[in-house]
Formats: sequence, C-alpha cells, structure tokens
Amino acid sequence: MSVNKMSENITKPVDQTAALTKQKEKVEVEDMVDNINKKTETNKYRNLYVIIEQVDGTIIPVGLEMLSEARRLMNDFNKKYSLNEKVIAVILGNGIKHLCEELIYYGADAVIYADDTKLNYHINKIYTKVIAQIATDLKCIEKISPEYSKEFKRPRYMFFAADSTGRHLSSTVLAELESGLASDINKLVVEDIDFRHEHKTKGQMLTFEKTLMMYRPDFSGFLWTTILCLDNKNPEIKRDYHPQACSIIPGVFEPLEKDVSRTGIIEEYIPEFDTKDLDIKVLSRNVLKDMIDFNSYKTIISFGRGIKESPEENIKLIEKLAKLLNAEIGISLPISKKPFKLSDKMNSLYITPERVIGTSGQKVEPTIYIALGISGASQHLAGMKNSGFIIAVNPDENAPIRNECDVFIKGRIEDVLPIMIEELEREKINQTKEGASAVVGTV
Amino acid sequence: MSLNIAVIIKLEPDFSDGNVSYNPDGTLNRAETKTILGHHSAIAAQAAFYAKVKYGARICIGTMGPPMAELALNQSLLLSDAEELHLYSDRSFAGADTLSTAEVLKTGISKMKDGKPMDIVFSGFRASDGETGQTGPQTAWKLGYTFLGNVISYELDIEKRVITALRLISYGNYNLIEQVQAPLPVFIAIDPSYKSPFVTVSQRLSASRYHKEAVTRSSNYKSYLKVFNAKELGVDPKLVGLPGSPTIVYKVEKIPKIKSNRSAQTIENIDPDGISNILEKIHETIT
Repeated sequence: MSVNKMSENITKPVDQTAALTKQKEKVEVEDMVDNINKKTETNKYRNLYVIIEQVDGTIIPVGLEMLSEARRLMNDFNKKYSLNEKVIAVILGNGIKHLCEELIYYGADAVIYADDTKLNYHINKIYTKVIAQIATDLKCIEKISPEYSKEFKRPRYMFFAADSTGRHLSSTVLAELESGLASDINKLVVEDIDFRHEHKTKGQMLTFEKTLMMYRPDFSGFLWTTILCLDNKNPEIKRDYHPQACSIIPGVFEPLEKDVSRTGIIEEYIPEFDTKDLDIKVLSRNVLKDMIDFNSYKTIISFGRGIKESPEENIKLIEKLAKLLNAEIGISLPISKKPFKLSDKMNSLYITPERVIGTSGQKVEPTIYIALGISGASQHLAGMKNSGFIIAVNPDENAPIRNECDVFIKGRIEDVLPIMIEELEREKINQTKEGASAVVGTV
Repeated sequence: MSLNIAVIIKLEPDFSDGNVSYNPDGTLNRAETKTILGHHSAIAAQAAFYAKVKYGARICIGTMGPPMAELALNQSLLLSDAEELHLYSDRSFAGADTLSTAEVLKTGISKMKDGKPMDIVFSGFRASDGETGQTGPQTAWKLGYTFLGNVISYELDIEKRVITALRLISYGNYNLIEQVQAPLPVFIAIDPSYKSPFVTVSQRLSASRYHKEAVTRSSNYKSYLKVFNAKELGVDPKLVGLPGSPTIVYKVEKIPKIKSNRSAQTIENIDPDGISNILEKIHETIT
C-alpha cells in the first residue's frame, strides 16, 4: 500500500503525518498511522456507561451487578492507563430521581437520569432515542468529566442487561450509534492487543489499545467466545466503532455492598421526544405470578439430554420422583432446544425457558439438587453449584458433573429412577402405617 | 387495504436427536449436524400466517444465507403460504455480525413486493445457534419501524392501521404481561410461547384452505423464489459481511472447569440397598 493511497483515505492529521514521513520505511509509516489512530480514539471516546433498567421505581437487580463489574473494570483501567474515566449509570423513567443516589452507593461515579411521564414505561423506540441522545450529549460530560469534555464524542464502553428488554434496547441503541455489540457476556477484560485482520487492518499487524474483551459462553456451555468490537483501521473501509458494547447475563456478577458514604455526580438530562413516537402506548401491565418458583422448594430435580433413550417415559419417572420428594423440576439449556419428540403436554409443561437452570436461566440453591442425565456444562454448574447436597445420575463417569456433586450414581435414568421411586413409595407406606408425617416438604 | 407482511428467517443447526452431532468435548459438530428452518423462525412464519387467515395478508419471506438456505424458505412457505421468497446470498456476506446482517435484511425487505412498504415484519425470538436476539431489533431500527419484542399475541385494526399486542417481559422471577398499542408499520420479534388462536370455524376453514395452497406452492417453490446477490440487492459493500461488521470473534476457547469443591462418592451398583442409602442421606439433609 502506498503512502499516498493511505493518506487519501484517512483523517487529516494522519494525512499530514503521512506526508511528513514519505521518506521513511513503510513499516514506520504504519506504526505512525496506528499511533495517530490511537490518539484520536483516546480523545473522542471516554467512560463506561451502564444502562440501568427499573420497573415501577425498583431497580432490576442486574443493574447493580453490572455496576459492580463496571467499577472493578474501570478501577483497573484507570490504574493501568493512568486515566480518570468514570462509571456513568444511565437511568430513565417517571419519578425515578430518588434511585440515582442508590446507583452511586452501588459503585457509579456519576448518574445521568431522564425523568419524564413519557418514560413511564420502557418503550423501545422512545428509550433508544433518549439513550442515544444521552450517549452523545456533551453538557452532562462537561460536568462529569470536564477534563475530557472538549473532544468527547461517545462512550468508550457500554453495558446493557441481557434480559427481555435490555437485549432489545442494546440492539437498537447500537444500531442507532452504528457500533458493535456482543450479547450474553459473563467475563470482561480490557487489554491492548496486537491484531492482524484481512478487513480491519488490511492484513497489517496493528495495536488496538484499551480493547474490551467480551467473553460469551456459547449455547453448549463448553465454549467461550471472545468478541471484540474493533475500529476498521484499514484505510479503504476506515471507520470508528465506538462504543464497544455488550449485554451482560443477569446473575453472573455479585453486586457491591451498598456504601452510603460514596458520593458522585447526579445530572438530569432533559430529553427530546418525537411526537409521532408518543402514539406507541402501553395500555396495561399485569404482573404474572411466577409459575416456576424454585425458591420455595427444598429439592430440585433437573434433567438433561440423558433422557434421550425414552424421553417421554423418563420424564414420567422424573415427575413421579418429584412428587414423592416434593421437588420442582428444572431442565438443562440443551433440553430447552427441544431435541426430542415429546407429547404436547410434556413440551408445554417442562420444555420451557423458565425451567432452565444455569447462567442462561435461573440460579438455584436448594437443599437437595438432583441432576439426571446432565453432563455438567459450566453454564449449568454455575446455576446449581451452591446447592446443599448434590446427587448426579449419569452413565458417563467422565461427565464434568461428577466433580461438582456429592453422590455420583453411575447409571441411566431409566435404571436408577424406578428403584428410587419404589424405595420412596415403600417408605411412604411404612410411614403411613406408623402414622408419622413425611419428612420432606416445602419451605 | 391489503396487508403486506414480511418474515425474516434463518437456516440453523437441527438440534433434534439423530440430526445433531456433538464433538467428544461437548461442543457442536457443525460439519455433521444437519440444518433446518430455525425453531423460532418457524414460529415467526406461523405468526405471519395468522394475519393471512384473519386479515388477508400477503406474505414475503426473506433470509440471508448460503444457497441451501432456500430449503428453509420452502419450509417456512409451508407454514405461512407465502407468495414470495427472498434469498440474499453472496460470498461477501459471510462472517457478518448482527449489524451487517441487519443491513442486508433491511435492504432485502425494502425490495419485497416490488418495493412496496411492509406493514409488519416478523422475526423469531433468536437463532438457536447465534442466540444473540439482536438481528431482529437492529433490522427494525434500520427500517425505522417500531420494534415490539417478546410478542405472545396480536390483533390488528386494519382501518386505523394500529396493532395491539401482548408482550411477555421477564426479569428472572419477575414477569409481566404488557398490552401495547402502536401504529403500523411495526417489527415484531415473536415470543417462543406464541400460538395462533384460530377460534372460529371460518378461520379454521380458511387456514386449512391456505395450507393446501401452501403445499401446492411448496412443490414448485422455486417459481416463488428470488435470489439476490450483493450487487442485485444494491448494498454498500462497506456495510455488509466482514467489512461492515464492528465485531469479530477474536478467539474461541474451552471454558475452564469450575474448581471443584466437592468430591463425589461414586455408586456403580444400582441396587435397592445402595439407593436406599442415598435416600437416607436425602432425608437427613432435609431435616
């Protein structure tokens, strides 16, 4: 690639720099370009914005979990790069001003809030526009990060919740900001990386400073994919991609202890609304009583792909066992993908997302956890490993679940469960004879 | 007025037993796994079919994918009795992230029914392999349509051009049903729990008539199929495929095993005595 060609396509300061270095070696030119890229990048993009959701004035817990991780990440970041970038919580709603202090207590340096009756409900189109306005607003940044406010363009990083509304909000906000988004992240690291890419760097090895490494467990639960949002440094398709954004799986990070001695800046943002968006109306809202409430059971029995040889019959056995032990039934993530042919009744009763246990579903800590035919992907283990006493039934003694249980029964569901059921039924009969009450029960 | 409906679908790995193949380490063996119309895409096609039966809609289904993705288009034709199928297929689309996929889909949707604007676009909840759930809302945003996610049912007022939809919003243990009203056009990501409620006899008869028509169309689906490459679609090469993707997959690694805090007692002989001991332990722990 010629120096001239390169300078045609890139920004003015780079153009000048490139002109000055015409005589130098090609490699040096590229180094220089990279340095300039880094400099502009550093000036324009600052801070980590955490988008907090609330319903009827209550903060959704994942918001505080994200603040905790944001705090840790930016503490390390500021130390490593000798900078003073902030964790900025963003919250929208109606009558939510009082929540701002809470967000400071839980780790935010600053809060930008928009409080308006038009923001009473989370309406994607309206929320997206307001958040995009806030993300590019200079006035709030002048107060929060005066040292960086002159050249500020956009957030450096952005966190959203990977829940039903946050997932969509993150998508539309990043479509509006035209930058990259990784979903369902459970680990984050900031690093400077040297990277060569056919398109991003036109095959050159270039350094990408302060890159957010976003780790995402895949659907199998065995693989971790690191996703990066990188500027196109290739002059032919040159383009900045900031913020680097992700949605974070609820329940992964522990919120910080509430610290009422923490102080921070609270800024109100007055949003602009498009009148035609106000035709989108929430007519009613009803809270559903949770159908699957794992917390009220002392025992949880969950099943995985090990039901495969006779799925319908095995689930019937599991139902029986659950009844005898007064247990609720959970499933592993692969089962939620309906890998087996089952009757409509079984499908609608058990093969539902709300029964999934693991980081993609619910985290449970029952007194007894029985894992049937579950191999033990880390995403599942993370959702049940704090249970009191764990029993696993699996024919494969190399299954990872064996390392995370107290009793490992090497066998198939169809062989083990009938004996368990028979024994329990016998006990029950004996107890009835003795007039004793059952020892197992709900909380 | 007649209603124009678009559905965007995806060809995905078939996770059903016998078709899915896993590597010994538990990861998906893509080479050995069959592909199929995605489960959530199928629900989106069914949701579009509801509008056809109830309101008399014309349906066009689009997908970005390899040439073989036309099989998924045909499968969704069978579910929806679509009039038009679009395949956006070009080597330059490979490696696209959700933003650059949305760019292709947006451009494709704008070419449906010879460029007539769509009133409703349906997508599935998420793909079973990518699982981001981002492509739908990002396509909606690029189209400038109101996005309604997690829709479990909907009704239309054709005269007023207004949709009323129920959405299932879930925050872990806290779930809400929200009824929302919005002017058309809208983009709907359909919830996995969606079911078409064909309640009246005439609706059922009409559904059955359309299904028969779908079977006939399906046997000759290629005559309803339009294939577009990047040039025919008229997309900006900088905005699609890898060049148009802000994100990249940097590395894939095995998730390290969680450090174990337990050491399991292993029981190999499955006999009543052994099992009885375990049940004893269960009782002890619980009391």
